[in-house]
Amino acid sequence: MKILIAIGGKEFSKPTLDLGMKIANSFKSSTTIAYVGKKISQFSEKDVSVVHQNLDDRQLYRPGIRTLEWAYDFLISKNYIQETNTNKFDDYLLVDEENSRMKVLLKEQHSDNIDLIMRTGEIIEQLKDEVEVNKHDITIIGGGGNKGIHNKLIQFIDSDVFVVKNYSVNKKYKILLPVNNSKGSDKAIDTAINFAKSYKLKVEIVAVYEDKKSHQKTEKLLSKTKGKFLKNKISATTKILDGSTVNAIVNHAKDDSIVILGVSPKNPIMKYFFGSKPISIAQKCNCPVLITK
Amino acid sequence: MNESYKIISSSILFWFSQKKWFVYSILVSIFLLNLNTPIGLSVPAYHSLIILVLVFMLVTFEPIPFPAIALLTLVLQVILEVAPPDKVASSFMNDAVLFVMGSLMFAIAIVHQGLDIRLARFIVFIFGKSKRMFLAGLMSISAILSSFLGEHTVIAIMLPIGLSVIKNIDTQKTDGKNAVLITLFSIAYGTIIGSIGTPSGGARNVIMINYLQEFSNVHIDYWKWMKHAYPILIIQLAVAYFVLQFTFPSSLKNIKMRGFKKKVENKSIKKDINHLFSCLIIIGIIASWFAFNDIYGLGIIALGGALVFMIFGMISWEEINKNTNWGVILLFAATISLGFQINETGASSWLVIKFNELLNSLPSNSINVSWSIMAILSGLTANFFTSSATVSLIGPMAIELHPTDISFALSSAIASGFSFLTVISSPTAMIIYSTGLVSTKIFFRVGILMFIISILILYLMSQFYWVTL
Repeated sequence: MKILIAIGGKEFSKPTLDLGMKIANSFKSSTTIAYVGKKISQFSEKDVSVVHQNLDDRQLYRPGIRTLEWAYDFLISKNYIQETNTNKFDDYLLVDEENSRMKVLLKEQHSDNIDLIMRTGEIIEQLKDEVEVNKHDITIIGGGGNKGIHNKLIQFIDSDVFVVKNYSVNKKYKILLPVNNSKGSDKAIDTAINFAKSYKLKVEIVAVYEDKKSHQKTEKLLSKTKGKFLKNKISATTKILDGSTVNAIVNHAKDDSIVILGVSPKNPIMKYFFGSKPISIAQKCNCPVLITK
Repeated sequence: MNESYKIISSSILFWFSQKKWFVYSILVSIFLLNLNTPIGLSVPAYHSLIILVLVFMLVTFEPIPFPAIALLTLVLQVILEVAPPDKVASSFMNDAVLFVMGSLMFAIAIVHQGLDIRLARFIVFIFGKSKRMFLAGLMSISAILSSFLGEHTVIAIMLPIGLSVIKNIDTQKTDGKNAVLITLFSIAYGTIIGSIGTPSGGARNVIMINYLQEFSNVHIDYWKWMKHAYPILIIQLAVAYFVLQFTFPSSLKNIKMRGFKKKVENKSIKKDINHLFSCLIIIGIIASWFAFNDIYGLGIIALGGALVFMIFGMISWEEINKNTNWGVILLFAATISLGFQINETGASSWLVIKFNELLNSLPSNSINVSWSIMAILSGLTANFFTSSATVSLIGPMAIELHPTDISFALSSAIASGFSFLTVISSPTAMIIYSTGLVSTKIFFRVGILMFIISILILYLMSQFYWVTL
């Protein structure tokens, strides 16, 4: 499995980085930590590039490197990587790769599993490109900032998207798994099983019915899903919610929930202009939300 | 749903989300093309104005690469019968375009020589007695150099000096943050203000000189421009110093001058001969701009500078090729070509008639009102559209307003250099922003004050000083 963790400002990215690394460690995945720098106007892009080269030559940190250095120090402080005398960040080399991608190489590689990279440009375009080229399975992003960006990332990035919102290390999380009869939901169930196994998390499976006729169908779906978890020796509870799907799930999700749900089967054009239930849930929930694809 | 359908529609949607401003610009252009040609305007003139609107939208929102915008501008001029192909081709290349090309190459050659340490030593030697004097020195030296060598050259040399000074400042505390901002803004404002000083300070100045020569047969040489613009530069510098002290009050305790001085003094400078030779070339080029710009043009002299650096092996062609923004050169060439057609087709005269009609409808109308509107419009457009492109497109109108009075054309070009409001307005602003230490909000907050004061200074100088020249 390959995981991409997108970081921005130092303090705001702590929970994203922390949860991202926990997931990466439990799945023994290779991880890329990416910082996407500000988009530069075409008028000035060459001038900016010359200045940045100049800063490198004078051993002055170019913008973005400080954030990656902070991320590296954070990983060391949390024992995600072991610091030695030879893999200190001071002695880094920035390798210019294709398509505005730069990779940080330390004198002695800290680990084969963690890459620090820097990209410059429009965030959606850059992360989409990163996922496509390097075939990441999960993209982990912070929950703050512009909601439109989350919406577009969920829509356009070709990987699962984990929006880390209001995450705290001290909370004991449980998985909240909304299900229905879609293909996306099946993928979400598989992912939830993997997560629950790796973290030993409790699982609550929920389904929403909007009219009484579908009650029986919903119950059947819940017991079938619960069976899948029991087969994997994971304890799970079920619950039927009523009301509109988005509101019912958002109201039911607590601060200590990790919501895992499948991508909407809706037409992409309709999704772009009118949104979708998973996107609305990810926007409204005040807890981490993983949308599987 | 069919998977391939999903993939295709998702790709189209992503393209649309990235290029929506291209689609909107084309739709607006098609809509305008389908309207009746306004009375008093010929069809080619109307079409030239539609291309102008299209270029404004495309350059502002950047949905497609600049070279593509440039090519589209040229193609549309011919397809929409604004001008025949030969005329479009001949208006595509002139001294202003050569200047843009030459100054960009010359800048890369200069920056490549690594003169910043030597310059830092010089600034420390002259202004190193106190921290505030040092900041004033950074600002003044940036302004003087920028007035001759252009913004992009000077900011590339000065920024490493500024960042070395503020390297270890803790920006979590207000005093530290203000110390960082005042240092960066001293360099940025010095560089921006300096660029109005001489024709070679910015491509927009050369573009306006070219337009004046072509459209009004008025010639402005290097020295004449300086006499008009340099006093404004000096007053602006003094004002900017106090505006920054007022906006970012700081004890400057966080700036460790001793450490910086030691670092600068201990740094070995190996390229003594190269540096000496570079300085000689720079001085030679500036002197040639003064002495021979009437004969050879500013562009050819700038190209000559880059040529000398290459001939003596002080920079390779690969380095110049890699770092020259060819897209910007193509774009300027295309917008200047469009500017010529706007004038030739009579579109600029029509716009000026409409502008005057609008002014006549105002309760008080005078030459001062039209000057103010034109200067503010130039300044604001430049801030949202970049200065040189603004002058290449608005320049013909500014000249047409008062063809015999150079104060309108000069004011339009100088006001376009007041790129204090947005980070996209000039290379300096974008480079400072790209450090991640300055936000767009802070840039605007300080800039709005500087912009208003600068327009006032320009107005007063044009009213009371230029008339004496």
